[in-house]
Amino acid sequence: MIVRRRTALVVLLLALSIVAAAPACGSPDADRPGERPAAAPAAPPAADAPRPPATADSRPRLVVLGDSLTAGLGIDIEDAYPTLLQRRLDEAGIGLRVVNAGISGDTSAGGLSRVDLALDGDVRVMLVALGGNDALRALPVDELRRNLSRIIERAQARGVTVVLAGMEAPPNFGHDYVVAFRQVYRTLAEQFDVPLIPFLLDGVAGVERLNQSDGIHPTAEGARMIADHVWAVLQPIARDAVTRPAPAGGEAGRG
Amino acid sequence: MMFVLRMALRETRASWRRLLFFFVCIAVGVAAIVTLRSVIQSVRDVFGQEARTLIAADVLVSTVRPWTPEARATIDRRLAEAGAEARVDTVETPTMVRPADPAKSTTRMVELRAIGPEFPLYGTMTLDGGQPYRHEMLAGRGVLVRPEVLTALGVTVGEPIVIGQLPFTIRGVITNEPGARVGNFSLGPRVMIDLADVDATGLLAVGSRARRVLQVKLPESRIQPLVAQLRTDFAEQFVNARSYRSDDDEIGRDFERAENYLSLVGLVIVILGGIAVSSVTRVFVLQKIRSIAVLKCIGARSGQIIAVYLIQVLTLGLAGSVLGVVLARLAIAAIPYFVEPIDTSAAGTLLAEVHYGVTWSAALQGLGIGGLVSLLFSVVPLLQVRFVKPSLLLRDESTKAPFDATRAVAIALVSAALVALTAWQAASLTIGVAVCAGFATLAVVLMAVGRLLVQVVAPLSTSRSFPLRHAVLHLSRPGNQTRVILLAVGLGAFFIVGVRSLQASLLEELSMQTSEDSPDMFLMDVQREQVEGVRAFLADPANGAGPATLIPVLRARVIGVEGRETQLESFEDVRARGSLAREYTVTYRDALEANETIAEGKFWSGPSSEPEVSVERGLSERFDINVGDTVRFDLLGRTISARVTSLREVDWRDSRAGGFMFVFRPGVLDTLPQWYIAPLKGPTGSAARVRFQHDLVARYGNVSVIDFRDILLTIRDVMSKVTLAISVVGALVLFSGGLILIGAVAMTKFQRVYEAAVFKTLGASTGAIARMLLFEYGVLGALAGLVGSLGAVALTWGVSRFALDIPWRLFVGEHVAGVAFTAVLVAAIGVLSSVDVLRNKPLLTLRAE
Repeated sequence: MIVRRRTALVVLLLALSIVAAAPACGSPDADRPGERPAAAPAAPPAADAPRPPATADSRPRLVVLGDSLTAGLGIDIEDAYPTLLQRRLDEAGIGLRVVNAGISGDTSAGGLSRVDLALDGDVRVMLVALGGNDALRALPVDELRRNLSRIIERAQARGVTVVLAGMEAPPNFGHDYVVAFRQVYRTLAEQFDVPLIPFLLDGVAGVERLNQSDGIHPTAEGARMIADHVWAVLQPIARDAVTRPAPAGGEAGRG
Repeated sequence: MMFVLRMALRETRASWRRLLFFFVCIAVGVAAIVTLRSVIQSVRDVFGQEARTLIAADVLVSTVRPWTPEARATIDRRLAEAGAEARVDTVETPTMVRPADPAKSTTRMVELRAIGPEFPLYGTMTLDGGQPYRHEMLAGRGVLVRPEVLTALGVTVGEPIVIGQLPFTIRGVITNEPGARVGNFSLGPRVMIDLADVDATGLLAVGSRARRVLQVKLPESRIQPLVAQLRTDFAEQFVNARSYRSDDDEIGRDFERAENYLSLVGLVIVILGGIAVSSVTRVFVLQKIRSIAVLKCIGARSGQIIAVYLIQVLTLGLAGSVLGVVLARLAIAAIPYFVEPIDTSAAGTLLAEVHYGVTWSAALQGLGIGGLVSLLFSVVPLLQVRFVKPSLLLRDESTKAPFDATRAVAIALVSAALVALTAWQAASLTIGVAVCAGFATLAVVLMAVGRLLVQVVAPLSTSRSFPLRHAVLHLSRPGNQTRVILLAVGLGAFFIVGVRSLQASLLEELSMQTSEDSPDMFLMDVQREQVEGVRAFLADPANGAGPATLIPVLRARVIGVEGRETQLESFEDVRARGSLAREYTVTYRDALEANETIAEGKFWSGPSSEPEVSVERGLSERFDINVGDTVRFDLLGRTISARVTSLREVDWRDSRAGGFMFVFRPGVLDTLPQWYIAPLKGPTGSAARVRFQHDLVARYGNVSVIDFRDILLTIRDVMSKVTLAISVVGALVLFSGGLILIGAVAMTKFQRVYEAAVFKTLGASTGAIARMLLFEYGVLGALAGLVGSLGAVALTWGVSRFALDIPWRLFVGEHVAGVAFTAVLVAAIGVLSSVDVLRNKPLLTLRAE
């Protein structure tokens, strides 16, 4: 759906801005549709796609389940942090293929609804990087906790190693909300015993030159910094995961 | 010189009845111009006020980052240069509030707005119970809230609520807030606090999502330069400037359209008035030819005669214009009496706000046009005086003038003056020239039609019917009024029908945007397993929502196109194509929406396991995608190659169910992860809406409800005012246009009465003469109406497309009615204006002549 410059009705504008790029992990205000080329490109197709693409890759996978921050909204896919992670993996000689399962605008609830699809096939590691849109819309923290825990449960049930990337709610929602929101990730990491990246946008959020004009989405330079601190946590896990045999719920089929 | 003046005076005395008629015709034309232009000017002023109230300022300077001292310094400097009269700082941020009473554990997302003491610069903030807003109410941690907040939190006025870490006391309930972020949607109701308190809340820290807005009031002429300057200053920074006239949003464009329409009407009425005045002048001067011949017999020189009549025409023209201004004053004073009984709604207040008086500039323009046009149009015919021979009195020959350089120069000068006049009225030389060119084209067409008509009806001159025969002969005899009437009436019909059609078109455009049953709530992020529950919730009458459709949506990227004209093999190719390469929100369904039509191909019915897609036509044109091509999508990491089986035309202005670039045939996407959106009409009444939202979100925590009823109501209110103003002006055009035409046609009676009297002497019955006149004027009227209406089709097309920026619509009814109405009107005037000849003894007329 495109949003034309000439959308007549404010309703339409609203509707479209919501449906289209707007809440693509962005505040409705800053993220008006049609203003950005949104060149967030395709994730490599999953191996079980109806028509296997020419670049079929049989390596075990590392899935990044995320939102527009993962999808690389507003920057080139080559600059998005999952692509950078792929490069690090290749350089380190770790035979994992990164699958960018980032969908702009997705909340933790949306992530939950597609986690099964994302886990299909030989997935070894899943980086869960959700919550940005929940934060911008100040969705109830209980909801976030419930959705994320189910996502982790499903992945772990298949023997997939989960890495959780934390997100922060903006301070304008008040101290209570911000604290409760942050706490969700800590609690879950402890509860499920998964490694935690405390804040995906650590060192990037709020820094003028590392963000696009909406003040939400990182620039290419910002994405490099994200890749840096994600890599620090991910590297040992990835190395470990690739040497393990394929998990039980893997290639054989669906859980 | 004395002789000239004396002669002019004597002339005036001798034919005062005819002069009176001329005088009245001018007055009517000028009155129409002055009335309409005054009303239009006032209405435009009100539009300006309304537009300002929408943003509560002349200029907004905003940023989504904290202000930097450098930015503020630049703004301060620019505002000082521009002579800003007032300014106020505001901060808007979404936040959570809860009752200070820990027993009540609810929280609510709200849109906080912190305002400085000068707020609002325009408009008034009204509170529940008619209490006037004063900034002191916010002092000492006071807060004003929308009624929804009270319901949601279960608190009342006087109780404290917590914003950030601080308790604030509710001091009142907001019913109307100037500048309430029209064009943006909000996730919660408004809460307002003092700007001075905002820092203490701790809500504005690094990473906060807040919009800081500086509202500015400054003189009208400085607005655009300031905005342009600020945009240049902050081109590379995150600071945005817009004026109340900005056409960034649809409502701004609507204002602009309404204004353009009104200026067009203003221009049209001037031209119409000008046509009337000119045709009246022409007829008047032609009537003088015999007297001129007499004057020549007794030795008057051409120069003297021309001077005599010019003075006469100019005096009468100016006097008529003055009378016109007086008439306009009276007409405008009468408008409220006509409008008030019709409209007592909110929109009626617009007309109450309109200043009902003649504006000075309109009066001066009216006077100028009355005098100038009558002068311009009398000069050319008067130049013929030089060729009037005394022998004219004896032999009734028509003066065949040789090529006359003076006359050619005069015509050129008159034309130039007309273009200048039009350009002045239109405030644009291009428009002036364009209008005059269109006007000239139509005049030429009308002339040609007149000539054609004479030839076409010529065989009828042997008709057995006496009235028909003579009606035809009159049309073709020398010195007939065919051309004059065709020209005046044809152009008149052209403009009136054109303006009426444009009005209908514009009103339809506006009504589409303010339709009562358009959705005013929006659900997003409904998950698949919640669909049944949400659907049941919406259908439950206890929840009070209107009918809603849940639309499944997925996000997809185009990664390739294979077709006859386009070959995009890879995602890189697609990206090279520009905007085709982005995430689209797509859906699948089995039927077209009401705002969709199939432009090409065939829409499927029933599901299929083969992927098929229907593409929006605009997009298909931009990227050369045709029926039969295959588009490759990346949907959640799967590649889906869908055959394009149809192209859809989507009416984006009426998209209650949203609009989609790509719609898939059911069968392929159904099982993929997806979520649902739902535009709907929420319950009426704010308490019911709050309950609705609360209940829904309590059950489905991830669903966000966006309520934009307030925005819609504001828009509807403003648009109904605009609509009413346009309708009133349209009615005035019809009324005054009709009057002008009556004047122009009735003036031709002086050419007819003499003949009528002669016929009567020769034994023609009154009925026969009346029928003769009926035929003659009826045919002329119908023809003029036809040509005018056809011309109006072209006019509406051009104006819709280039000036108003709305889709062109054809209102056949308006055009047909235009033709019929013109024919009847002209025939009626033709007969009625000769009624004295028909009734009185012919000798009276013959003697008087």
